[in-house]
Amino acid sequence: MAETKRNPINPALALVAAVAGWLVPGLGHVLLRKWDKAIVYLFAVGTLASVGLWMRGNVFSSNAADAFDMLGFLADIGNGIFYFLAGTINAAGGDVSRASGDYGTRLFATAGVLNLLCVLEVLQIGFGSKEEGHAAG
Amino acid sequence: MILNHFQAMVIFALTVSVAFAFLSKNKMSERLRYAAWAFLAFLAVAIGIGWLMYPFSR
Repeated sequence: MAETKRNPINPALALVAAVAGWLVPGLGHVLLRKWDKAIVYLFAVGTLASVGLWMRGNVFSSNAADAFDMLGFLADIGNGIFYFLAGTINAAGGDVSRASGDYGTRLFATAGVLNLLCVLEVLQIGFGSKEEGHAAG
Repeated sequence: MILNHFQAMVIFALTVSVAFAFLSKNKMSERLRYAAWAFLAFLAVAIGIGWLMYPFSR
């Protein structure tokens, strides 16, 4: 039977870790000492967000024109620092006149939603509602 | 950076399947098995749907 352990509940640390994890993918797990998960999530979200921006994907802004733009903004804002640095990572901006830019838009939105899932896991771990197995399997 | 549809899909499948494996499994052996299975399933389903749509593309 697999060994599992529950973390002691520390709501303040859980909330701080959740905000940190949203802002910098993986940082929330670092604060909770989940090193392997932190590296994997930083790699996954960072790769998707960077490739999406380099492919000149569109980044939705907060002044959405319709409900779909608002959904796009909610997904994109999940990227945290990658959203705020989008103009620096790809100064040329979005270009969805080509298929490549359209794929980039999807990759960037996927990265944001994936990071939001990671933030939810940080909250689960921090509040002690998720059992964590030992790293060695 | 210009990637074609297949290359973008491979990057998507790889990163998402690895992240999902770490989100849903605790043991490393289970994570590896889940990531490999999800990666191959992403590719198989996408290529399968692509071939299903092929007769309607012309």
